[in-house]
Amino acid sequence: MNPSLFPRRDFLQSSTLGLGWLAFSAMANGPSRAVASGRHFPARAKRVIFLSMKGGPSHVDLLDYKPDLIKANGKSAEKFGGAALVGPVHPFSQRGKSGLWMSDLMPHLAKHADDLCIINSMHTDVPNHSPAFVQMHTGSFQFVRPSLGAWTVYGLGTENENLPGFVTLNPPADNGGARNYGSAFLPSITQGTRVGGSQLPALYAAFLKKEQTPGPPMKNISNPSMTKAEQRRQLDLIQGLNREMLRKHKVQPQIEGMIESFELAFRMQSEVPDTLDISKEPESTRKLYGIGEGKDAFARQCLLARRMAEAGVRFIEISSPMGWDHHSLIKEGLSKNCGETDRPIAALLTDLKLRGMLDDTLVVWAGEFGRTPYMQGINGRDHNHKGFSLWMAGGGVKGGMNYGATDEIGYKAVENPMHIHDWHATMLHLLGINHKQLTYNYGGRDFRLTETSGEVAREILA
Amino acid sequence: MKRICLFVASFTVGAGFANEDPASEAFFESRIRPVLVKHCYECHSVEAGKSKGGLRLDTRQSTRTGGDTGAAVIPNDAEDSLLLSAIQHVDPDLEMPPKEPKLADEVIHDFTRWIEAGAFDPREANPATNGESLSSRLDHWSYQPLTRPNVPASTSDWPETSVDQFISSRLKNHGLKPSGDAEERTFIRRLYFDLIGLPPSVEQAESFTFDQLEKTVDDLLASEGFGVRWGRHWLDVVRFGESNGREANIVYPHAWRYRDYVINAVNADVPFDRFLVEQIAGDLLPYEKEEERARLLIATGFLAIGAKGLNNQDKHQFAADLVDEQLDAFGRAFLASSLACARCHDHKADPVSMEDYYSLIGIFRSTKAYYGTWIDSENNNGGELIKLPDLPGQLTPGKSIPKKKVEEMKAQLAELNELERKGKEKAAQMMESGKSSEMSQKAKRENFNEALREALRIYWTRGGLTGKLEAVDDDGNPIPLCMGAKERDEMVNSPVYYRGDLKNPGDEVTRGVPGLFGMDPVPPANENSSGRLELALWVTDSDNPLTARVMANRIWSHLFGTGLVRTTDNFGLTGEEPSHPELLDYLAAQFQEKGWSVKQLIKEIVMSRAYRQSSAYREEAFLKDPDNRLIWRVNKRRLDAEVIRDAMLSVSGEIDLSPRPGSLAADVKSHSVSIIGFDKSVPTDLDGSTYRSVYLPVFRENLPDVLNLFDFAEPSLVVGSRDETNVPLQALYLMNSEFVTKRSKAFADRLIEETFERKDRIRLAFQICFNRDPCKKEVRMVEEYFSDSSGADESTITARFCQALLSSAEFRIAD
Repeated sequence: MNPSLFPRRDFLQSSTLGLGWLAFSAMANGPSRAVASGRHFPARAKRVIFLSMKGGPSHVDLLDYKPDLIKANGKSAEKFGGAALVGPVHPFSQRGKSGLWMSDLMPHLAKHADDLCIINSMHTDVPNHSPAFVQMHTGSFQFVRPSLGAWTVYGLGTENENLPGFVTLNPPADNGGARNYGSAFLPSITQGTRVGGSQLPALYAAFLKKEQTPGPPMKNISNPSMTKAEQRRQLDLIQGLNREMLRKHKVQPQIEGMIESFELAFRMQSEVPDTLDISKEPESTRKLYGIGEGKDAFARQCLLARRMAEAGVRFIEISSPMGWDHHSLIKEGLSKNCGETDRPIAALLTDLKLRGMLDDTLVVWAGEFGRTPYMQGINGRDHNHKGFSLWMAGGGVKGGMNYGATDEIGYKAVENPMHIHDWHATMLHLLGINHKQLTYNYGGRDFRLTETSGEVAREILA
Repeated sequence: MKRICLFVASFTVGAGFANEDPASEAFFESRIRPVLVKHCYECHSVEAGKSKGGLRLDTRQSTRTGGDTGAAVIPNDAEDSLLLSAIQHVDPDLEMPPKEPKLADEVIHDFTRWIEAGAFDPREANPATNGESLSSRLDHWSYQPLTRPNVPASTSDWPETSVDQFISSRLKNHGLKPSGDAEERTFIRRLYFDLIGLPPSVEQAESFTFDQLEKTVDDLLASEGFGVRWGRHWLDVVRFGESNGREANIVYPHAWRYRDYVINAVNADVPFDRFLVEQIAGDLLPYEKEEERARLLIATGFLAIGAKGLNNQDKHQFAADLVDEQLDAFGRAFLASSLACARCHDHKADPVSMEDYYSLIGIFRSTKAYYGTWIDSENNNGGELIKLPDLPGQLTPGKSIPKKKVEEMKAQLAELNELERKGKEKAAQMMESGKSSEMSQKAKRENFNEALREALRIYWTRGGLTGKLEAVDDDGNPIPLCMGAKERDEMVNSPVYYRGDLKNPGDEVTRGVPGLFGMDPVPPANENSSGRLELALWVTDSDNPLTARVMANRIWSHLFGTGLVRTTDNFGLTGEEPSHPELLDYLAAQFQEKGWSVKQLIKEIVMSRAYRQSSAYREEAFLKDPDNRLIWRVNKRRLDAEVIRDAMLSVSGEIDLSPRPGSLAADVKSHSVSIIGFDKSVPTDLDGSTYRSVYLPVFRENLPDVLNLFDFAEPSLVVGSRDETNVPLQALYLMNSEFVTKRSKAFADRLIEETFERKDRIRLAFQICFNRDPCKKEVRMVEEYFSDSSGADESTITARFCQALLSSAEFRIAD
């Protein structure tokens, strides 16, 4: 057998004690990894909070200010089969000292304008939700590949061995489902742990005087019939049997994954309940996020994200509970979505800043693509993958800047175009990782998140 | 929109003054093009994907060539230019734009001048969008007629069946060899898990040899467990759920009848074509006995069990979404096609136009879905249920209501109706008095609010009363009801709704099966039929290129862990191509020829040596084909959630293999899923039974823990292939959950009862869990575990040991 294929096996088989997470991280420094002490160069970001906006938020209405599009409002464009161009459906204003143009729909986020790096030249390969969403998460829309979070954890391990390195809150079941937080051929311990549960409808919550979501339900977090020492002994037996199976079956990543996830589960018991309990937060913080006021599912997720970041989770993804796929009623739809997300997102940035964590936490807001500058139907916009916008804040990116640009109407990225691969490369760079060197050998071939491309956008590095 | 129209208008007019020369480009750009774009492109352009009447008006060439009735524009000849006569409304059969007021006289005058001046037109064909038509997409592999490929000749002695010869031939082409046979003990576990979802008993495994393969396969196919396992696969595909899901999540207490129908049909090996017809149009099929009638009505539950936005305030939108969901499930489940993507525009990838979509939608709009649920504060769209014929021995698990209470409820209902009548009168009076200015604004508002509150109270209370009364007879005994579908009293055709917007209807499309995937269109049998039966027969027509391929692939996927086409629910242009196209066609053709027997096809596959291969790692093959697309071995698979749970109940000796009568969903007191958690009689893990997992309740958004944690199929989606994750929350369930703790105790009790010596118990435990003896090392490990735990009593420590076995990787992996 090729010794570089699965170098961790020997360790897993011989270790009689629980496999430490840090040990795993150290293991990842094998000769084929080239991840020296986890990083290739000094990192600016230690962790990532990814605010995932499924559906394709309209960049021309939110983040990409185009005076020419406003002027052309109503004109039919031959290029688009004569469809009418539509200027932003809500006004834009300049914000912060930097004077970034942002939609008036995001007054709270606007206060952080000088922290935001708005990338206006994003582009991706396909204009359909499912493949584009998967490509945003894994770099590939065709093949099953590890997700960005899994690569991050693979490269850096976790800051807290008692928690999963990658947590995803309420991810959508469609649009690729578990592929978006999957580990594919990477060790399965790098897979995102999905946390989330159903909410109590507001009506009943009020009636029963209960919180709508008292924190995601975390069941089975302790065993009342065994002491910790007894459970450890039992776990050692389980792992002994598992290692025996691994020995017999040689290469078997599934079993390795099960061994690792049991160790992590055992350790999680001590820390997870506290981390997920947002009722421990002071009233002032809850208020900052808008928890307890109307629809607050997203606000709760934002606060949980901060708590997890603080506790040492490396990669936290939260999914917008509402979709941004505004084929119709875009004006109303954007008002509603921004109304529910603007304040919590701004609160998250404020909160991280107050705690001195924004400097080393990369906060990313992105959807799988943007929308067309021309009208679809009577009041909507169609998918547009040729040019769209996202923003990043903290974690070593320059604030108060726009990077790249679309053409004069916001249709196509023309200046410093940033493909998904470039964006991934840049994020890994901020985390101290050279995207070309973060590889995994699978089936005799070295794979990486950015496939065969990816350019780091150095201009946005602070 | 208003703003935009005004803008277009002002742009047109504003630019007008300077551009009076009708032969100028400026004239065209300011007077002609905007009108074409606004009023014509919707039906006559490449961008819209439409060329009604064969006419496209988005290039000079196509405008001059014209459509079916002739040239639209003949330069210098306004009189013979059809475009002009159409907008002038000369011919009542050709009035454009359709269903809109005639264009302004000035506009018509502009067009006349433009044509007379030579019809200057700078519009060239747009090369990016030119030429691609929906029909060109029909070249896609999955729309080609089924072929009957020759079985490749054997070049080695490995192949035993035709399946093997296809596999072997491709392996050989890639310089690979198949793996040897798995051990018999390993294989029999694989076969049991795959066919009935349970592990073999110690005796069954010990007595098995490959000599008895065929008999063992036949026995398993004939066992009740087969329908449980393969019925559940089908329930994944038809997005079975026992509540509507989404924001207002209401229980479907009768959905279980459809679940049982599926299990029974799979066990009876109802030919798959018939099985599909029953689910689409069972209500329209002939029957002799009432039992058969009941079965056929229940089968149409397929059309009713989908997720629904019951809280939608807009009833028209709700109705449009309901039929869209039906069509979506129909397309993905039976044809692996995303037909419903053509709701707002022609399909972006597949050969499905909006007209196709709305002609299918007409079928579903002429069908009434009976999904139950009643109106209350959460539900604005209550539905009805189908009353089943009374049959002897029929299970009706609904709640009975004391007769006296029934009478009270009826009285209350009458009272509410009376109150509503009075309320309406009062409202009418208020409307009158509101016109006079005697009352203050504030008083008017208060009056209005009061009336609204009262009306809502009546509306919601009545919903619950009606719903409960519908489920019982006059004596308060529950009556047999089911979810399903029937023809409506009035048949309708649907207009095309541009962008799926109900406020934007276009031409009506005659309902019926459109000419999809190279097949001929099929109209409804007569004007009083929805066309649903014709749709069902079209799906199962042997010329349909998709149905047999899609199902053959699903079956393969369940047996090998991956489909020949990996995108099991997408055979369209964005899906993947088959790894073995000839094998897929061979299987699909066999399937059709052998009477669409699912059992026969499964048998054909599991009797192959390909399926019998070992799962062992082989480096030389792995390096060439790491994803095992060529099937050089059998994939190791994590067991499905239900199999993990059922295996635990099986080894603990507690499993109850009889069908659970009804469902927890039929027993819960609550109408709303979100408050089920407050019902103390319902276990928090929504489990608490020893029936097979297929009988666990499938509340959307609120699944039993074991299903939720181990990658159960999302019940709102068509799921042909489940995710397979491995995360610490699963480990926590195994380590700490009440369910696993209880199974471990029962398993320990079983061991203690069956054998006396600890070492025999250890050995027996391994045999029961893994169908093998422990190796020496394992025995030593376990014995050490027992001796290290000397403080605890024997039964406690045995239970913990049992839990360790249930939690082990080996327990969850089919090898």
